[in-house]
This record gives sequence, C-alpha cells and structure tokens, in this order.
Amino acid sequence: MTAYLTRRLSRVALVGGAAVAAMMLSACGNGLASGGGEQSSDKGPIVLGMLTPLSGSSSAIGPYMKNGAQLAVDEINGKGGVDGRKLELKVEDEACDAKSATAGANKLVTAGVKISVGGYCSGATLPTLPIFEKADVPMLIPAANSNELVKQHKKNVFLINGTGAQQSDAAFTFMKKVGATKVALMDDNTSYSKDIADTTAKLLTGSPALAGRESVTAGESDYSANVTAILKGQPDFIYWTGYYQEGGLIIRQLRQAGYTGKVMVADGSVDQKLVDIAGSEAAEGVFATMTQTPETIQGADKWIADYKSKFGAAPGPYSTQAYDAVRVAAEAVKQAGSTDGSAVIKALEGIDGFQLFSGPLKFTPDHTLSSGGFQILTVEKGKIVLKDTLQ
Amino acid sequence: MTQLLWNGLFVGSFYALVALGYTMVYGIIRLLNFAHGDLYMLGAFVGFGVLSVAGGLATGLGFVALLIVLIIAMLVTGTAGLLLERIAYRPLRGAPRLSVLITAVGASFAIEYGMRLVAGPNPEVYPVRLAGDSVNVLGARITIQQASLILIAVLLMAGLQWLVMGTGTGRAMRAISQDPTAALYMGINVDAVIARTFFIGSALAGAAGVMAGGYYGKIDFLMGFIIGLKAFTAAVIGGIGNIKGAMLGGLALGLLESIGTAWIGGQWRDVFAFSFLIIFLTLRPTGILGERVTERV
Amino acid sequence: MTTNFATSPTRASALFDRLQQNRYLGLIGLAVAALAPFITATNYALSVMTSALLFVMLAVGLNIVVGYCGLLDLGYAAFFAIGAYVSGVLATRYGWPLLATVPVVIVAAVVAGIVIGGPTLRLRSDYLAIVTLGFGEIIRITANNLTITGGPSGIYGIPGITLLGIDLSGPVGLYYTCVVVVALAVLGAARLGRSRLGRAWRFIREDEDAAEAMGINTYRVKLAAYIGGAIWGGLAGILFGAQLSAISPPSFTFLWSALILMAVVLGGMGSTPGVVLGAIFISVLPELLREAADYRYFVFGILLIVVMIFRRQGLWPARAVERQSRRDLREAEKHDAGKAKEVVP
Repeated sequence: MTAYLTRRLSRVALVGGAAVAAMMLSACGNGLASGGGEQSSDKGPIVLGMLTPLSGSSSAIGPYMKNGAQLAVDEINGKGGVDGRKLELKVEDEACDAKSATAGANKLVTAGVKISVGGYCSGATLPTLPIFEKADVPMLIPAANSNELVKQHKKNVFLINGTGAQQSDAAFTFMKKVGATKVALMDDNTSYSKDIADTTAKLLTGSPALAGRESVTAGESDYSANVTAILKGQPDFIYWTGYYQEGGLIIRQLRQAGYTGKVMVADGSVDQKLVDIAGSEAAEGVFATMTQTPETIQGADKWIADYKSKFGAAPGPYSTQAYDAVRVAAEAVKQAGSTDGSAVIKALEGIDGFQLFSGPLKFTPDHTLSSGGFQILTVEKGKIVLKDTLQ
Repeated sequence: MTQLLWNGLFVGSFYALVALGYTMVYGIIRLLNFAHGDLYMLGAFVGFGVLSVAGGLATGLGFVALLIVLIIAMLVTGTAGLLLERIAYRPLRGAPRLSVLITAVGASFAIEYGMRLVAGPNPEVYPVRLAGDSVNVLGARITIQQASLILIAVLLMAGLQWLVMGTGTGRAMRAISQDPTAALYMGINVDAVIARTFFIGSALAGAAGVMAGGYYGKIDFLMGFIIGLKAFTAAVIGGIGNIKGAMLGGLALGLLESIGTAWIGGQWRDVFAFSFLIIFLTLRPTGILGERVTERV
Repeated sequence: MTTNFATSPTRASALFDRLQQNRYLGLIGLAVAALAPFITATNYALSVMTSALLFVMLAVGLNIVVGYCGLLDLGYAAFFAIGAYVSGVLATRYGWPLLATVPVVIVAAVVAGIVIGGPTLRLRSDYLAIVTLGFGEIIRITANNLTITGGPSGIYGIPGITLLGIDLSGPVGLYYTCVVVVALAVLGAARLGRSRLGRAWRFIREDEDAAEAMGINTYRVKLAAYIGGAIWGGLAGILFGAQLSAISPPSFTFLWSALILMAVVLGGMGSTPGVVLGAIFISVLPELLREAADYRYFVFGILLIVVMIFRRQGLWPARAVERQSRRDLREAEKHDAGKAKEVVP
C-alpha cells in the first residue's frame, strides 16, 4: 500500500515538474532567467495607455474618456501619425479601485505603453504614479485632479484637468460677484469632492462667510437630513462639489425644503442628467463651475458631430480632456523627436501655447495648467449654458 | 426638531418596508436573503419600464398611475422573489447556513449586474414625479405625497400583520418558523408556504422601490445595496424574525440617522448608526421585540 | 499557476493520507510559487501574482474565523484596513521602516479583535454577521473622515520593505517577500487548525452547546479565533501597503470582505488547500475577465450560486477525519472490528 502511494506520489510530482518545465520552455522570453525586462521598440506604433473606470460605481465615465481619446488617436493617425509612426490606444479598467488600477497600470507598462493618458478616480490614480514613474512613462492625467497628485511633485505627472484649487478660486470669484454673503458647502466625502470643498472653505474667511459644511454618503436617495442640517446655517448660496447623481437629488430636496437661495455645483455634476434628476423646475438657475466644454466653445459643433457620428452617442464628462491628453502627448513626442520618457517630459514642460479646449497650454512648475480655464455655466430652460467666462 | 423627526420617520418607513421582507424570510427559514435589497431595485426598474412604455398616458394621471404601476411592480418583484427562492435557495434547504448566505450574496451580484447589462450603468430618471404642495405641521414641512406614501406603507404593513396573524397562511408560516419538521407532519405544504413568504416579502420590497423611484426620481442598478444593508440593520434592531419589530426597527433607524446627522454631521452618521447597533445588541441581544430564543441544537 | 495541479491531486486525495498529502502539496505549491516568475516576470504578471498571494493570506486568516470556528465575519476587510493604515501612517508620517511597524500592527489588530469580538461573540451567530459588517463600515468611514489617515485620498508614498539593507521594494523582491510571508502564514494557520485550540474551534463549529458541555470555554476559544484572524488580516494589510504604495478607503469596502469570504467558501471552509485555491481563483478571475468588465460580476454571481448548489462543500473540501492520524484510524478500526466480533456471536 505504502509503496503504491509513493509511486503515485512520485508520478504526480513528475507530471508537475514536467508541466513546470514545459511552461518555462513555451513561455521563454518573459521569465526572470531570460533577463525579463520590458521590450522597448522604437519602431511600430506609439502605444498610449489609458486607465479609466469601466466597471464599478463610476463605470459610466469610462466610455466617455475612452471615446474622446480614441477620436484624437484616429484624427492624428488620419493625418499620418507622429513622425511617421501611428498612435495606438490601450485601455484598461481601473474600476475606481486601487488594486485594479495597479494591476492595470502594470499591464499597460508591460504592454510597452510610452505615455499614459488616463486616470479618473484620484484614489485609484495615486498608487499608479510610482508604477509609471519607475517605468519612465510620462502621465497626462485628464480627469483626476486631487491636490495629492500635485503635492508629490513627481516629475512624470502632468494634470490636464484644472485642479481643485483652481476650481475653488473660480467658485469664490463668482460667489463674490453675485453678492453671496453666507455660503454653505456640501461634498460627498470622496477625494475629489472634499478637496474642492476644503480649498473653498479656506477662501471663505471674510465675506462671503462660511455658513456650514455637510458631507453626504454617495449612492443614497434621501438627503433630507443633510439638507435640514445645512439649512440651519441659513445660507444664501450652496455649493455642491460632488457628482450629478447625488447633486440632482440634493438640489430637488433643497427646493422641497423651501430653500430659495442660489445653488452652484462643481464640474463633476455638469451633466444633463443633473437637470433630469432635479427636475427642470428645481434645476432652473443652478450655476456650475466647469472647464470649457464643446457645448460652450464657439465652433466646436463639428467636434461634437464627429464624436457623435463615430460613437453613436454624445460626448460626456472628460471626453474633451481625454481628447486633449492624446493631442498633447502626440505634440510632446513630436517636439521631443523620440518616445524616451525624460525627453517627452522635457518637451511637455516646454510646450507653450498649444491650443486645448481649456485654452492655450502652458504647464506651471507644478505640472498643472497655468489657468484652470474654469467658467460659470447655468441651467436655463432645462439646458446647461454658458453664463460667465470669468475673464 | 420636528423636521428632523419627520425626515427620520419618512426614511424609516422605507427601511421598514424593506426590512419586513428580510424579517419574514429570516423568521421562517432562518435565511438572510442578501439579495432582498436588489429586489427593491428591481421594483424601481420595473416601475420605470412600465411608466416609460405607458408614456404620455401616465403623466396626466400622476398619483393614480403610480398606484397602478405599484401593483404591477409588486407582482413582478414578487414573482422574481419566487423564482429566486425556487432556483437558488430551495435546492440548498438543509445545507449549512453559510452556504445559503453565499448563494444569497451571489444572487445579489447577479441581479445587480444583470440589471446593469439590461439598463446600463447610468442612473435613470422616473418620467412621473411626485411633487406638490407642502403643509406646515408643528414646524415640519410635510408634502401631501410624503404623507400618502407613508399611508401606503402603513396600509401594506397592516395588511401584512393581518395576513400573518389572522389567516391560515399566516398560521402556517408561524408554525414553520416554530418547527419546520413538525409543521410538515401536521400536513402543512411547507414549500408552498415558503414560496408565498418570498412572494410577499419581495412584493413589499418592490413596492418600496417604486415609491422611492416616484418620490426621489433617480434610480440606478446599485440603489438596492445600501438600503438592503440599512433594512437588515433595522430588522436586527427590531428583533429579526419579528414583523412588528421590523417596522419599529425601520422607524428607529430612520430617526437615529436623522438625529445623528444633525448632531454630529453627515460624514459620521453611519459610524453613529452602526456603533449604536453594536452597543444596543450587546445590551439587548434580542432586539426591541425579539423573543429570547435559544439557538436550535 | 497552481490551478494546473488542482485536478490530479483532487482525485488522488481520496487515497492519500492527510498528513503526507499536506506535506507534499505545500511543497509543490511553494515550488510553483517560487518558480512562477521564471516563466513570466512582467510587471503585470508579478503584480497579479502578488495580489493573489495577499488574497491567499487574507483568505487563510478568515478561514480561521469562518472555516475553523464557524463564526460568520462580514467585515474582515476592517482588520486588513487596520494593518494597512497603522503601518502606512507610521511609515509615512513618522518615518518608521515598514518592518518596524509589524509589532505595532499586531498589537493594533489584537486590540481591535478584542474590542469588537469581546462584546459581540456572546451574540447569536446571525447577529455577529451584521455586527462585523457594521464594524467594517465603521473602520472604513473613520479612515475616510480622519485627517491622520489622509481622509478620502488616503496615504501615499508608503515605502517598500528593506531587510538587513537589502531593498525588496521592486516587483520581484516584493513578490518573493510575499511568497515567504504567505507560505509561513498558510503553514501557521494550518498548524493552528490541527492544534488543540483548532480542535476546540471545530468542536464549536459543529456543536457549540456540546463543546460547552465538554468543558470548553467557548467564549474564550471563539475570541482566540477572532484575534487570530485579526492578526493575519493586519499583517496582510502591511504587505498591501507595500505593494500599492498608496492606500485609500475605497480599497476596504464591504465588497472586499465579501470577496474574501467567497474565496473561503468556494475553496472549502476549513480546508487549507481548498482556501488557498479559492483565493487564487477569486483573485485571478477578475484579471482574466478584464476584457469582459461589464459581465464579470454578473458571471461571478451566477457562478457562486451554481457552485453552492452543485458543490457546496467547496472546490476542495475539508475532510471530516482529518484530525486523526492514520495509525489512530487503524487502531480505531481494529477496536471496532474487535467489538463487532464480540457482539456478533
């Protein structure tokens, strides 16, 4: 019996060993023994990588960003590419989750991505910074804009979206302009939202003054308790810094609770669905801080038409930023004359006056946009339209 | 203060409606139906679908249309609950509780992401909205719609209480919850009664879903998760397995959250609610109305 | 990687003596884990494999609580978060090397285990589920609200591990660190499961009242399981921080707790090889389904139901006789046979 067992056992071990050996042979080239490392090709297409949420709670955003970037890639390739090389876009899911994002970032790096043009959730983008840094891959982040991304002063990180601080400045300017006296802030306790609320709160020291803050839990339906709490400070101006899903409900419930003052929302809430959820009556006259969008830019109709005909759907949040990120990446490679990480970074730092949706591009020493390009939109007859460019 | 109480009671009545299904199913077969919150979501989407198809017909009727939709959605979610029990839970009756719980978690994922495949990840907006005049009662703003929704919830709960305490089916349910084997020997069709329990519990969750859709307006495929969690908590606070307890627990949780938000800020509300739950259970492990039961050996 | 070996030993396991089987299985598993990077060592493969190892550690830790002792814990991610945050805060704000945070993390995990387990382990088992779930939420929301934990953005810039001056922060170094730590963790948990304490756990799982009647202090024994699970989770948290370099509250949601629990149940509660296998499966599957991001959770849900209905003991179930050595078994057989002889004539 024991002899039999031993025989069986050694057979299992043998088969196992053989399998390992076979796998090693068949997959040679990637293993440690073969030297590993990423193959760097200076021929063939220039691969751009994008991390964006395709699953999870923010999965609605992913396709907008992906399509925006794809549009730019196709346009550039249609004109012959960059230095005769085509662009290629690889998209991976970040799921707004650190683990998925790091796996995705590693996958992109392994696939030989030269420049990253993704990053939506700040919390999921942060852990990808060192991965791209080690691989010498410059990052043009189109959406994530938490101050934490800036504070690290990574050489390879550039923000295409306006930062929270810039958005707060714009919001504060407008609050003063319309004569608000008591401002209340509401956020959804996520990195992006709290960031804007925090920086805005720091500005509200004199007049207008801060009349209360409230954090809500995203994904719920009833915010009446939060609304009751925020109205205790009797504000005449309420700034919501979260996303449209909750924003719409909060606007509606504020009005139902009898609030008649002004309401403003941040760029994460700028979506036609905000008006639908709040109801056009409640949403009428709501302001928003937003970077320039195709809708508010003169002569961008063609861009929207191109996007629609290509993807069969209208562009959404961050479509333009993703589009711009790809164009900036292409421009930097062209100026650098290579895809080498540090050369591209140098070229990015040198770019001056390249036209983006948000205006001419010039990176600050912090690698953020010199001007956030924020302007004020408003809801008029159920549509979101430009109100004030703040120029 | 009255406003706080009113907000709490209103939210609490939603919790209570969903908690009822949890507590009924638990009471009868000791199963935590994790997918219950997702039936609430399903109800909201069925209502949305019916209203979208009915289109212009419904918009003029407002509240009446919603009532009809409510009944349709209840029937559909009830049937869904029935199927869920038949497909996922019945084959596992008698299996270790943990396996059934995992099945329930699986069912929850399947319903949520199945709906995402059908309806997409973006939130949908109800075509018919309940909005209207508010009256001032003792300093609280109460809209007619809120009052009517609470009335519907109370009627549903009263109907359920009558069903369980006053009818033959109810007696059979109680018998099974006491001792399934003995109930079987006494000639009760256990499978049928359990199926009926699932139908009723799921229909109530579906009703809550439509009401939430009509009142708040926004629905999405993950909307059932949080309320499922809250309803579960409410059922435990009330004493799980006890129908009156679920109602009380729902209202208590609603009030707790409303007052917690006012006292210590919205970002600490859930910490407050869950800490209260832990302390409460330590002091009174059976919930508000739960009887002292020894675990069956 | 290990999945390749799953099928043949499963069939063989019916033949093998438990002890022998475990010894070779563990070695084979370790060999596979150690050799895998020689097959493919891209950053992506290493990061997926490192995540899988961490998941194995979490699943083995939860297995102590759920599998051995039968306590349903729906908030296991809380201990994971405590480990990650305690070590992350000490490392980034106070400049501690990551290794130095290990004792502090263990103390923190034990304290958390006592704080939450102390009052609640006397409760009915279903209530324990909701209480642990609530605890998981409390920890996550607290981390989200406090300044020292970095609020919603969390902590970033967590350094890698250095041991005796050797830098192990690269993907390869980290991977092998994880291989060693996780192998020890798996071995330790399996040993615990076979110890005197482990027998008490299983007794409680099978019949708490009988265990109490036999003189086992069920409360203390349950608390021990809970604390054991907490320590495993906390240590996994340190590795998690070292791997990602940044941690934030969304990494510690209920979904995580549910996934870890699924790994345990899918693999086979109480069975070490099963749980390891289940964890690898649950952790690698989403990566394999990356292309079908829209469908993966749907497929996942269906899969869970199907597995529970058709193979509820798990992919690789624990065996009822595993506590007895073969000699014990033989003697018991002889004894029974002798008895039977006595009775029959």
